[in-house]
Amino acid sequence: MKRLTIVLAVLAVLLGLRPVAAQTTGTVSFRYAGHVVRAPLFGSRVELVPVFALLGATAKFSPAMGTWGVQLDNHMIQFSPGLRVVLADGKLAEGREAPVASPGGIAASTDFLDSMILSPLGFHLERVADGFRITPGGRRGAPLTVRATAADFSTTTTLVLTMGRPAMAHVNETRPGSVTITMEDASPQLDRATVLRSRRIRGLEPTADGLELSLAPGIGLLSWHALSDPPRVILELGPKAAPPTSAPQAAPARRPTRKGVRPIVIDPGHGGKDSGAVSGSGLEEKNLTLAVARRLARVLRRMGFAVRLTREDDETRALTDRTALANRLDALAFVSLHANASRAASVRGAETYYMSLDSASDATAAAVAKLENAAGSTARSGSELDMILWDMAQAEVLNESAQLALSIQRRLNSLLNLPDRGVKQAPFVVLTGATMPAVLVEVGFLSNPKEARRLADSAYQDQLAGALATGIAEFLRSGR
Amino acid sequence: MKGRFVLVLLALVAAAALAWWALRSGGGTAERPREAVATPSAPTPGPGQRIMLLFPGTDGLLHPELRQVALPTDVDERAMLIVNELLAGPRSGLLPAVPWQATLLDLFVDDSGIAYVDLSGPPAPLAGSNVELMVAYSIVDSVLLNCPELHSLQILMNGHEIPTLTGHLDFSRPLVLNKRFISKR
Repeated sequence: MKRLTIVLAVLAVLLGLRPVAAQTTGTVSFRYAGHVVRAPLFGSRVELVPVFALLGATAKFSPAMGTWGVQLDNHMIQFSPGLRVVLADGKLAEGREAPVASPGGIAASTDFLDSMILSPLGFHLERVADGFRITPGGRRGAPLTVRATAADFSTTTTLVLTMGRPAMAHVNETRPGSVTITMEDASPQLDRATVLRSRRIRGLEPTADGLELSLAPGIGLLSWHALSDPPRVILELGPKAAPPTSAPQAAPARRPTRKGVRPIVIDPGHGGKDSGAVSGSGLEEKNLTLAVARRLARVLRRMGFAVRLTREDDETRALTDRTALANRLDALAFVSLHANASRAASVRGAETYYMSLDSASDATAAAVAKLENAAGSTARSGSELDMILWDMAQAEVLNESAQLALSIQRRLNSLLNLPDRGVKQAPFVVLTGATMPAVLVEVGFLSNPKEARRLADSAYQDQLAGALATGIAEFLRSGR
Repeated sequence: MKGRFVLVLLALVAAAALAWWALRSGGGTAERPREAVATPSAPTPGPGQRIMLLFPGTDGLLHPELRQVALPTDVDERAMLIVNELLAGPRSGLLPAVPWQATLLDLFVDDSGIAYVDLSGPPAPLAGSNVELMVAYSIVDSVLLNCPELHSLQILMNGHEIPTLTGHLDFSRPLVLNKRFISKR
């Protein structure tokens, strides 16, 4: 979350922190639960801080980061002046316009206040004779046409719901085989031309609150996310993991969610045509990482975790497919295993990496600046905006990735007495796009003859697997 | 007879003038030969500004090496000089920045401050994230530290974008300064 704030800050600096030139131009009243507040107007926008106070929400501005955070009950909304993108309870959404820095802190249109802030907080805004009234609960919105298309793959089905206009969507698996899709301020209606042909979908019907998706037996919701331009919701459907029959009592980290048991995804680096590094004695990185991954999976399963490997054998796997599998399974954590090589034979030790968004955020900032400079917001393409949203989503889990990396590296250092090469950040391809805590572990240097001999030893591989499992389990049990 | 001599003399003078002009203008509108960029310049001796180059050490981290060079004011030329100095190799017992006989094929800077460095690729596949990180950040950090006008740098190989060099680092987008791999000692 901290990293997201940094990304927001970079974008805010680029876009939003312009000198405050206009002055307060009047006030407008807001009513809530018998209380009234008069919020100053800033041009055509409303100062938001008095509205937050009226609701009893905590609103904090980080000057260093340039971001606002509004908290009420279990909800957290984050946004920045100059940015149309808002993070509401971990979900990204894009408003029609951006809030601006103002004499009172932050000001926005009532449309932004209603759709981007009040709605995720569980309120809606109604115009009344002398201003606005804030009312708890959602609002039955205007009809919204939804076009549905589905594509069956070997083990999963992707369902795309394309909406006629932007609307914040919520997807929930209410009971086995049934998924509801609701859209705030909107009453979804299926496009008449919609004909779904999928062996995993039984039907999609409009209800009073939205849409209800009926699934074939044994099929469930694996994950979902929203994209814009065109606004759409993408659902990944597939077989649900079987519930655990028994789990040791000392396994608090297995986290059943509405989506079922979430696995830890272990990625044995390289494979197939890509051997990776090779030691002087001929030990190939692809074989070493697979051996350690299998041992690690066994240890984690004994601890009560569900585990998936990105490859079970000596197979070629694209880097992006490895991350995609973890995303599709909504993994608890993604751990990519590697063995290093250096031109200096003396270099040895383990190191753990997590994603650096340096290049991504920089490219994002450049893309945003370019788009903002373009004539009119219609110049913004879907793919560019998706890239921004994607980077921001990644930034959200960056802090957790750092904690996972620290936990693993600490265990590798203490259990194996390895030289500490530390936790580092780099923009590694296999970590790009991971939406869960994700790290890449270099377990040692195959270019160091002594370390290569050690890495080839099966007892040492067991020790490595134990250290990695302990580090992963400690991170997951910490409840981050 | 005298008139014919004058005509010949005039023709000779015209030819000489044309040759001089052609030599001076470097062939008129013809493209700059790639070899002019591809050949790493010899380390620049003598007075000039101090630059810091980063080369890998035997600890798997980058170490600085300071040099005095005559730095061009033009950012393209300055970046080119830095890369050529790197490719010419270290002078202080460090390891080469690039572990193959790489040549600089091209270097250009776009309007937004991104440098694109096109190197000849390795003759055989390389392995190890450390090798990859050392290649990438010796170039990226050396150029960006000496060219503050630039904010990022993308490495191309043989005129093409590459997804990655040894299967880890993302080479498909520009990289920014990363001091995490510079030795603190």
